[in-house]
Amino acid sequence: MFFGKFIHTLTGKLILTIGTLVIVGSAFFWYFLIKHQETELINNSIEYGYSFVDYVKKSTRYGMLLMRQPLIQETIEAIGSGKGIISVRVFNNDGKITYSSDKKDIGTIFDKNSPMCTSCHVSNGHTKNTPIWSITKGKDSRVMNIVQPIYNEFDCYTSLCHFHSKDQAVLGIIEANLSLALLDKSIRQQGVAITLYVAVFIFVLSSVLGTIFWKFVTTPLNNLSQGMKRVAEGDLDHHLTINTKDEIGELASTFNSMTSDLKKTKHELVEWGNTLEKKVQEKTEAMQRAQNQIMHSEKLASLGRMAAGVAHELNSPLTGIVTFSHIIQKKFTPDTQEYKDLTVIIEQANQCTNIIRGLLGFARASTVEKIPININEVLASSLNIVRNKADFFNIKLNTVLDNSLFPVKADPSKLQQVFLNMIMNAGDAIEGKGEITITTRNINEGGNNFVEIEFTDTGMGISQNNLERLFEPFFTTKPAGKGTGLGLAVSHGIIKEHSGNISVRTKLGEGTSFIIKLPVDGEKV
Amino acid sequence: MSKGKILVIDDEEIIRTSCLRILSPEGYEIKTAGNGQDGLKMLEEETFDLVLVDLKMPGMDGIEVQKEIRSRWPETKVSIITGYQSFDSEINDADKLIAAGFIEKSFTPDILVATVEKILEEK
Ligand SMILES: Nc1ncnc2c1ncn2[C@@H]1O[C@H](COP(=O)(O)OP(=O)(O)OP(=O)(O)O)[C@@H](O)[C@H]1O
Ligand SMILES: [Mg+2]
Repeated sequence: MFFGKFIHTLTGKLILTIGTLVIVGSAFFWYFLIKHQETELINNSIEYGYSFVDYVKKSTRYGMLLMRQPLIQETIEAIGSGKGIISVRVFNNDGKITYSSDKKDIGTIFDKNSPMCTSCHVSNGHTKNTPIWSITKGKDSRVMNIVQPIYNEFDCYTSLCHFHSKDQAVLGIIEANLSLALLDKSIRQQGVAITLYVAVFIFVLSSVLGTIFWKFVTTPLNNLSQGMKRVAEGDLDHHLTINTKDEIGELASTFNSMTSDLKKTKHELVEWGNTLEKKVQEKTEAMQRAQNQIMHSEKLASLGRMAAGVAHELNSPLTGIVTFSHIIQKKFTPDTQEYKDLTVIIEQANQCTNIIRGLLGFARASTVEKIPININEVLASSLNIVRNKADFFNIKLNTVLDNSLFPVKADPSKLQQVFLNMIMNAGDAIEGKGEITITTRNINEGGNNFVEIEFTDTGMGISQNNLERLFEPFFTTKPAGKGTGLGLAVSHGIIKEHSGNISVRTKLGEGTSFIIKLPVDGEKV
Repeated sequence: MSKGKILVIDDEEIIRTSCLRILSPEGYEIKTAGNGQDGLKMLEEETFDLVLVDLKMPGMDGIEVQKEIRSRWPETKVSIITGYQSFDSEINDADKLIAAGFIEKSFTPDILVATVEKILEEK
């Protein structure tokens, strides 16, 4: 199983390819080398064989010349007993063995067609290339067969024995069979050794290549693919630690910069998403606020219109009530109960008239006449009015006025109405002893100048519920006859007409601050 | 001998009656009309020293009636009765209104009498 997997890895493929190439290559190489060596060895053996046969011939020459046959036989036997020598035989012209290392062979006649003879006797003639050698397969090993003709020489036919006549060209042959066991053995051993070398070589080569490849290709590639997997799973912090200078190292650094780019982009996207969300939320809130303000103003305006309509209708009946009360009153003397009762009716009717006036003042659509004024002066005259009122005897009136206050384009009588209401409200909230502090200051918001007028009292504060309804017409917490609930509604309208705004800061039991902000240029901001 | 002849034009009965009941005992001769057209018709038949006309009326409003009277009967004085500050003007206290010949609703008998007297004095 492992092998099956391994073969699919780059290392496996590489090793398989190289291994195959090495095996095939070395097989060819070694095959031809061995073949060559074998040929060399055989050639050498043949040379030895020749000299051996020559040696036999020379050793027996003496015996031949003297025709001392036992001596020849003995010599042949002695030579034949040597190591690696299978047999040495001497044939006469007729194919009969005359001497042999193996005595039993003597006298045996070989037919002219026997393989041994045919090697020389081609179609009844002698081949020229003598001696002749051949290699045959023997019992245990190969056998080299050398055949050498014994040519007639001067000494031969002149010898005393006169055994050979002068006409004979060939007197006989010497044949030797030499064992090639040693040669074969060494060739075999070489083959085994070479196979072993090749095996070891392949093993070493594969290991070295495999290790190198594993270290420099497979492992970094694995790292890379694991890194990619992690990045694909969303881990953009993963950093590949492949610091080689090769293509894989380059790939890794490209990959790293890609992930860091990705991370940066993702981060930016997330950031962007977050800020977008925040911005949308902020915008939505701002719009909501603006919307609420518009709704609030519209509500006030429509309420005002309605109130004004109602107030108008009330004017005439009130005129009737007052008129007829006066007419009846004239019929009584001032000391009568009837006269006093009618006075109450008249007073109450007049109170109604006042309420209507307040309402109409609030709803009035008339344009205010704006002139550049110093807010501090308007405040001073407003304070003069309240200072002499009994309600303010126990109240300390502080002023913190900015002397370099910007002039504001405004209607002084309208602003006085607003300021008076603020001061009266503060006085009402104090209930006895306390302080009212009026502060003026220049402020700059978004490049625009404003004048701020702040009325701070040490009164009872305003509850959250009341805070929401503060500017509604007729909203009052004061007892009937004391407050109409129109003061702040009218003030709101007036300040709006001056493109300003009123804000409130309050803490129950500690006090309240009303802050009026007016634009300095008198234009809409 | 009456102190003067006054025509009150108002679509609201209570205003007409109030004026009648306040001014008659003071020695003025009072006639009333419910709208501008009727008032002008009465002016064609007899002369009046003063006309009190309501600003807001269905049909002809006070300003139109005033213009008509000023062109056709220059001798006759006209005063407009108006609700508080419903007129686009800078005038916002009673004294100034009286000075300009306006009568502010709701008026008290004293104010009405004072206003009428003042206007008629300005011969
Ligand atoms: N400085 C303040 N401290 C505590 N409550 C205040 C203050 N100013 C205003 N309020 C509250 O706001 C209500 C509305 O005030 P606003 O001036 O509109 O009417 P008002 O004072 O009741 O009557 P008006 O002013 O018409 O005579 C007041 O009844 C009071 O409950
Ligand atoms: Mg108030």
